[in-house]
Amino acid sequence: MFEAAEINAEHKDLIHDVAYDFYGNRMATCSSDQYVKVWDQIGNEKWTLTSSWKAHSGSVWKVTWAHPEFGQVLATCSFDRTAAVWEEIIGETPGPGERGTRHWVRRTNLVDSRTSVTDVKFGPKCLGLQLATCSADGIIRIYEAPDVMNLSQWTLQHEITCKLSCSCLSWNPSLTNNHPQMIAVGSDDNTAQTGKVFIFEYSENSRRWMKIETIITIMEPVHDISFAPNLGRSYHILAVATKDVKIINLTPIKDNSSIQSGLTKLDVQTVAQFTDHTCTVWRASWNVTGTVLATSGDDGCVRMFKMNYINSWKPVTVLKGDGAVIPNDAHRGSIASSTGVLTPPITQTASYNDSGSMVRNGVNYTLKPTNCPQHIPPRLFKRIRQSFNSI
Amino acid sequence: MSTISVLQEGPVNALALNKDNSQVAIGGRNVFKVYSIEEDCFKEICNLRASKHLNLSFSCNDVAWSSTDDNYLATAATNGHVCVWNLTKSGKAMQEQVYQEHKRTVNKVNFHSSEPYRLISGSQDGTMRYFDMRCKAAVATFLSNTESVRDVQFSPHMPHTFAAVSENGSVQLWDVRRTEKCIQQFTAHSGPIFACDWHPEATWLATASRDKTIKVWDLTTSKPTLDYTIHTIASIGHVKWRPQRKYHIASCALVVDCSINIWDIRRPFIPFAAFNEHKDIASGVAWRGDSQVFLSTSRDCSLIQHSFKDASRPASKANIQALDISTKGNTLFGMRVPVSTNTTKPTGLMRKSSTSTISDQFHQSASVLHQFTHVSVCNDLSSFEFLAKNYILYGRSFPEMCEHNAAVAKECGKSNISTIWKIVNTMYGELYVKIQAMHNNGGLNLMNNVDASSTEKKNNDVVGEAAAAQFSSADDDVEGEDQVDHTAVANGYHTYNKYGHPKGDFSFGENELDLELDALSIDYRNGMRNQNQLQQQEDWTLPNEAFNIRHEIRDRSPPPEQFPNNNSPDFNDDSHSSTVDEQPTWLVSVSKIPPMPIWDPSASLIESLKHHAEKGDVQTSVSVLIVLGEHRKNLKTLDENTVTHWLMGYIQTLERFRLWNVKALVIELAWIPSISQMNQQSTRINTNCSQCLKPLQRSGWLCDRCHSTDASRCSICHQVVKGLYVWCQGCSHGGHLMHMQEWFSKNKQCPTGCGHLCEYR
Repeated sequence: MFEAAEINAEHKDLIHDVAYDFYGNRMATCSSDQYVKVWDQIGNEKWTLTSSWKAHSGSVWKVTWAHPEFGQVLATCSFDRTAAVWEEIIGETPGPGERGTRHWVRRTNLVDSRTSVTDVKFGPKCLGLQLATCSADGIIRIYEAPDVMNLSQWTLQHEITCKLSCSCLSWNPSLTNNHPQMIAVGSDDNTAQTGKVFIFEYSENSRRWMKIETIITIMEPVHDISFAPNLGRSYHILAVATKDVKIINLTPIKDNSSIQSGLTKLDVQTVAQFTDHTCTVWRASWNVTGTVLATSGDDGCVRMFKMNYINSWKPVTVLKGDGAVIPNDAHRGSIASSTGVLTPPITQTASYNDSGSMVRNGVNYTLKPTNCPQHIPPRLFKRIRQSFNSI
Repeated sequence: MSTISVLQEGPVNALALNKDNSQVAIGGRNVFKVYSIEEDCFKEICNLRASKHLNLSFSCNDVAWSSTDDNYLATAATNGHVCVWNLTKSGKAMQEQVYQEHKRTVNKVNFHSSEPYRLISGSQDGTMRYFDMRCKAAVATFLSNTESVRDVQFSPHMPHTFAAVSENGSVQLWDVRRTEKCIQQFTAHSGPIFACDWHPEATWLATASRDKTIKVWDLTTSKPTLDYTIHTIASIGHVKWRPQRKYHIASCALVVDCSINIWDIRRPFIPFAAFNEHKDIASGVAWRGDSQVFLSTSRDCSLIQHSFKDASRPASKANIQALDISTKGNTLFGMRVPVSTNTTKPTGLMRKSSTSTISDQFHQSASVLHQFTHVSVCNDLSSFEFLAKNYILYGRSFPEMCEHNAAVAKECGKSNISTIWKIVNTMYGELYVKIQAMHNNGGLNLMNNVDASSTEKKNNDVVGEAAAAQFSSADDDVEGEDQVDHTAVANGYHTYNKYGHPKGDFSFGENELDLELDALSIDYRNGMRNQNQLQQQEDWTLPNEAFNIRHEIRDRSPPPEQFPNNNSPDFNDDSHSSTVDEQPTWLVSVSKIPPMPIWDPSASLIESLKHHAEKGDVQTSVSVLIVLGEHRKNLKTLDENTVTHWLMGYIQTLERFRLWNVKALVIELAWIPSISQMNQQSTRINTNCSQCLKPLQRSGWLCDRCHSTDASRCSICHQVVKGLYVWCQGCSHGGHLMHMQEWFSKNKQCPTGCGHLCEYR
């Protein structure tokens, strides 16, 4: 059961992306009005606007959080052909008991693209601080911050040409060294009659990113692409938002040729295809365990899909964008006859809250670490260490 | 009209259309030509640089075409000359007038829209000059008091007024009859203004600047008002209002952006249309009288006629929806909503055409953002947290942990996970160990194979019943008698009962333990056993065994094709549990117990763990593996990479839920070096003595130099803290965690009385 609450984001134009942070207590929104806003959830109820700034000189397409181990870090990409990395800075505490002001500083501006940067994503944490961008001219760029404590230094490590205009990308979030680094890229090109989803893999042998697969069954423009979090599967699941929702299983095949070339061969299988939206599907997003896929389309609905115990994907929930919740009873399709409990949308005004409860460094108590180190994210530790050294 | 283009020998700086829009003059440093615009090509009419006596006055910064007399062109030359060209003449005579009055390069020339012969120029020397083509010298000179004038434009509404913009960011309005002082002056931008354009109908002046903005000023009142600001991605070099579209304006950038953008000033963030044909930055734009066609020149040496139908629409590629799911399963969804169109529109000047549907909707863009919060009490994610917190993974005996964890899982409604724990307990509990021991000792051959046909069944049932008995030991009244019978017969098993009772201090579930579940677990086991034995059947050899090959298995319970889901009703089927009741028929006839055919449950267990992991539930897989402890070595076919993957997955999920203690525990209990090493990373902290600032190297609490333990004393009890120490980063006082917690539950100030308002969270 879902309860809907409207958040008055007060963006002056379309909101193009929202992103929860790692824990789900903060979120960032970005809009065509060139602003990025960061919100904090106090307790379990209200989202309060804590930061809002003009991030770019063009529409901000995407916003994404880095793993909190690297601090409070955001990346954005924009129509203005740049991608930027932002870090939240907590200012000097004005007095005892008061909180320092928080603001976001642009740590770097990645200006390599000659066209609109359509997507930006941080790589899996185990790879350090890596950032992938893709742009409308079909170039995928991989950046790396060699020193995770210095977010202003990023080096362009790889440039992969994809030929078609790229609209979205997704890192394979797999956590093991079983699988090499992998990126899936989707194209929104609507002229070429070719596959629109490309899988790239980092080859340790050649130290380059290589295209290992083009999913030729998807010829329609792709608007969003997303690897499911892989906590323990032997294969990868990719969700693609095109004119419908596609769920694709990518199973690595171990054979001689793949061992020789050092590149993974994939068995590509479309395991589910949903036309429930009956129109263009814009977004696809996974829950943290990779068991529920949410998609949204021009019909203004969020639809959720879940895999049942015999490994087949089934629609489970429909949420209307206007806040209504439609339970998925036996008669799918009869969405109009909604019997769901309609919660009146709660409008909340954005206001700056000065008594935020973000647990970050600043004036707070932390544990003495020698005994119980894992209680605090490592990054915090480094900070503590620094601050202690300076005493 | 389609997109056509023609290449020049050099970069083009400017273009000008004649009054009926059939011809175009282009000018650059090395280019000065007039083309007629045909249906599908440009036709060169005249090359004004054909003359042998070329000088700097032939190189143009700007070109203007008289709007009253089609034969007159004016150019702004780089050497500061303003030239007037008569197209009816030829050769040197074409250059009818050369005004050598500006001291520096001339940036712009502009003909008066109604008065023939009148033109104005703006120069880098900061002056503007007003010419009458019939006179040899300027009629008037205007001093802008700025370093340079970048653009001058006659107003279409006020016949004697022109606007001039300067590099210092100011806009001036002049009356051509008053040379001494401008009518109006205001600062429009924070950087140089490169261009301005009067709206053909409204009283707007658009200004374009290096500060990456285009601003639209309403100049009806004495004080100019800023009506619109467009934020662009680069410095703007030129702007031109689109005819017949009140709110549209074309712009080209001075750097970075090679495209020509058409903006709807009401949506100042994203271009309404973009033309990307140029390879280098565009230098000039001229509309061909109507809203659908315009011409442009560029530094890439080309002259292009653009047709609006070939435009790209950046907004159409934009993602109109936003979606994300949080750790807690909440969903954020932002989507475009139609804006109510009954807002009062300024009428009169706005013209509607048949193609205006897109433009009408274009500027009305807004999104709503909703959060859908998971409110159901029991969902996968809340139970994850509950299980993670309540599982016991170490410190007790194996059966105890299994029992406890099974009960915990059951408490939060996860009966399938609960069953797994029970099965694991049965398979690897004391019972299993005994069997294995027996097997290893060559087997206690207490009985012969009396009834071959029932052996299989018996084996099934012995183990199955034992398990059932063990499960039901919490409520003995159900199957107590069977249990006793069994204990008597299967004398190898009499010990199990002792371990069957949970020793832990938790007794929940005792009354809830439903029979169905027990029956269900037996079914699992039977199913799995059968499956397992079927597998073994294929390569069944008898290297040491002293008994005959048994007959084919009578497969009574079909092997389950899937690991059961707790929602599946099939497993409550009574047909399987009935096997339990059949025992007495053979129990009495048995005189010897056959050697326990050792059945290795590992394959099944691995399969079930894998099943859970693939379903996204690594928690179960990892927890079972941890609790299994030494038994893990039996799971030989489970490779380390997979297990590492599961552990990493579980640890990451715990991080997301901020379950740091559980995470630390899992890492500590992990048997794979790469995981257990995670606890040793970034865990060092260096402390200095609070008295002498010497780094404390030997121990964290005693200073070698001043032999003080001040740094590590608890502010409350004044004892040296060994173990958990918390301190305030603001005043650096601290102490025992418990003491601090207690203190700050009542107080806000530091316990030492230093006056610092510590923040304890």
